[in-house]
Amino acid sequence: MIRIAAVGDVHVDKDVVGRYRPALEELPDRADTLLIAGDLTRHGTVDEAKCFATEFGGLGVPVVVVLGNHDHQSDQQDDVTKVIEDAGITVLEGSATVLELNGHRLGVAGTKGFGGGFAGACASNFGEREMKDFVGTAERYAEDLERALKSVECDALVALTHYAPVPETLVGEPLEIYAFLGCYQLGRSIDAAGAALALHGHAHAGSERGRTPGGVPVRNVAHPVIKQAYNVYQLLSEEVDTTLVGAR
Amino acid sequence: MTNDTDLEAEIQRLLTEHDRIAEQGITVQRRDHLIVLGGEVESAQRRDEICRQISSHFPELEITCDIGITRAQAPSEVEEIS
Ligand SMILES: [Fe+2]
Ligand SMILES: [Fe+2]
Repeated sequence: MIRIAAVGDVHVDKDVVGRYRPALEELPDRADTLLIAGDLTRHGTVDEAKCFATEFGGLGVPVVVVLGNHDHQSDQQDDVTKVIEDAGITVLEGSATVLELNGHRLGVAGTKGFGGGFAGACASNFGEREMKDFVGTAERYAEDLERALKSVECDALVALTHYAPVPETLVGEPLEIYAFLGCYQLGRSIDAAGAALALHGHAHAGSERGRTPGGVPVRNVAHPVIKQAYNVYQLLSEEVDTTLVGAR
Repeated sequence: MTNDTDLEAEIQRLLTEHDRIAEQGITVQRRDHLIVLGGEVESAQRRDEICRQISSHFPELEITCDIGITRAQAPSEVEEIS
């Protein structure tokens, strides 16, 4: 059994430092790792990244994150990444990590992702240069995610993105902005590689649960959606059940 | 003077692009003589700053603020994924 704590869109700045800490102190009793689905900061400044690292660093469990669009706002995403990594937190972008937890290997592959929309209402790689850049960007993130997912050997695999891979977890957001909240290519990558769980944020007014077309469970863990410091998801519990049945 | 239709867009762009706010999740709804702000933010300071900025940019508007602060307590339940 592996227990994964997850949240997104914590948007940390000076005014947030200390708010999550009481719940985070209890986290090692409730989960084996913490995954954070982007929008770690408000404007992606180095000072805000330091606030994030203070709040979410030194937890006693591994912390793995992706950046979000807010973390790109100041064009300092590389410096932001460095500050966060210096605090012992793993930052994924088109990359993966494997955590040894309770004798299981948990693979986490992540990317920020991008918008573009979903079946029936998506942007096409056609026309003006700006539009082709937009769609090309989404496709590049999705390809990077697929490569990262396929690169790991593990017992359970989790896809961690900021943008949404499916539209179901956007329900509650205005339909008109779905194309800025995620893209179907991310879902396609997750299905192509196979995963036990896909976590994302970004859609603050969206819904918690969905599935990819291929059936992978998707959870929107944006903080205003889950309305608590983090959610906890349990994976690989069927192995525990199997063992119990076999022992009888 | 901004027309009614554009007002929502102007408020939302102000909230997103203002360098002390950067909030994209605030809703703007019209009542008869009132603008109602909704959504959730991470701190009371952010909520107060949003109201302050809208009041100073649109002094003719009467604003009421239903913006909440997202709770940050530890969870009491685990969801099994299968
Ligand atoms: Fe966000
Ligand atoms: Fe976001």
